[in-house]
Amino acid sequence: MATTILFAAIVLFALTLLFATLLGVAKEKLHVEEDPRIPAVNEVLPAANCGGCGFAGCSDFAKAVIEERAEVSGCPVGGTSTAEAVAKVLGVEVVKTLPYRPVIHCGARRQDKLGVVEYDGVESCVEANVVGVTQACVYGCLGFGDCVESCDYDALHMVDGKPEVDYVKCTGCGACVKACPRDLIERIPFKENRMLTVACANKEPGKSVKAVCKVGCIGCSLCQRLAADIFEVDNNLAHVNYDNYETEEKLPLKVLQKCPAEVMMYFGDPEPQYAKQLAKEKAEAEKKAKEAAEATSS
Amino acid sequence: MDFGLLITIFIGVALVNNLVLAGFLGICPFLGVSRKVDMAFGMGCAVTFVITVSGVVTWLIVHGLFNWVGTAVFENAGALYFLKYVAFIMVIASMVQLVEMYLKKFFPPLYEAFGVFLPLITTNCAILGACLYIDMKPETQNLINAATYAFGGGVGFTLAITIMAGIREHINFSDVPKPLQGAGITMLVAGILSLAFMGFTGIGK
Repeated sequence: MATTILFAAIVLFALTLLFATLLGVAKEKLHVEEDPRIPAVNEVLPAANCGGCGFAGCSDFAKAVIEERAEVSGCPVGGTSTAEAVAKVLGVEVVKTLPYRPVIHCGARRQDKLGVVEYDGVESCVEANVVGVTQACVYGCLGFGDCVESCDYDALHMVDGKPEVDYVKCTGCGACVKACPRDLIERIPFKENRMLTVACANKEPGKSVKAVCKVGCIGCSLCQRLAADIFEVDNNLAHVNYDNYETEEKLPLKVLQKCPAEVMMYFGDPEPQYAKQLAKEKAEAEKKAKEAAEATSS
Repeated sequence: MDFGLLITIFIGVALVNNLVLAGFLGICPFLGVSRKVDMAFGMGCAVTFVITVSGVVTWLIVHGLFNWVGTAVFENAGALYFLKYVAFIMVIASMVQLVEMYLKKFFPPLYEAFGVFLPLITTNCAILGACLYIDMKPETQNLINAATYAFGGGVGFTLAITIMAGIREHINFSDVPKPLQGAGITMLVAGILSLAFMGFTGIGK
């Protein structure tokens, strides 16, 4: 028995030694020079392997960065800090990184939608989109929360029948963009804490929009007339041109005040500087009106 | 050397008792890497190489090393046969490592296309299966027959996976009923393909 164990061990050890030598020699002979920066870049990436950058995973992105097929700031999850770390590995400067975050191109709450029909089918946007009769607007949010389901970071919640993004938790991975059967969610460059968006996707003429929704974009082109470089109206629907969108201060205030459909919405930081300003102005206007009323009464 | 027997062995393992379609070995890469014909063919070639080398090396280990040590020390040729599985798996793993290094050096696109499936050849049961069949079957007890059997097994695997990939490329353009899309239709095709290979039964007997 002891000899069997002994010789089994000897035989296996000999075999192992043989193959180890063979593989060792092969490794020397077939060695491939790999850029040492690739694992170095891979090291500083978040390792979420979410595919948000458009590559197959973090290591694929690292390779693309080294081969200059991707920007150092290409990782949407890591944001600025990761971009700086990647740039440090490569020895380059970060130009400017913008986190891409989702905005929802439908601002209709449950009570804003018209022609809502009782729906007993499967509670999912994909299914409801196929059925197509749950509400009058064929462009707007269906409100069954496929995007909420798709979010791995608990950053989306249904509030009043429409999804709200929690920008503190959101990593910008883009899972919700893929989940929406009506393509209502878009990732835009967040140049500031919050960004202005047209919260509507309805391409019908104004009258048809009014018939299905209280807060739809009617394509009046007022915003385009006020600031043609930032807003453009196409197919009866306004879009924000984020290439020319710089900061909130540079936006014409009138657009927000005058938009008849009130579809101009801010997404992002819930503490808006702009709203404060608007509230201040509103208060001042009320004060003036009050004073005027007092003046007339006295 | 019986040349007729070699042909019989080759046809036998490549078509009649095809490792994948009649033996149900190596189903994982058969379904996993059969999306595109060129990739499937590459996978087939890699498996053929590993299976042939492993078949020969394991034959040498059993008939050379084990028998020699067995007779010399224990006066019983089969004394160390219980080490077969361990030794076979080690041989296969080493050969896969070798193929991986070789592909990385000379065919980087193929290496990247395989991805995780290349290391998975290690656990491809078709290879271990072929090595164990060689050890079991009475007609593969000499080296040339064993090598033919191993090579035939690899060719059979390549044939099966390439045919499967060809069919799956065509399925992309056909109107598959929704519940059967994806894995469902693939399983059905695999089953029908397996039935078709049953038609070879009886050849070479």
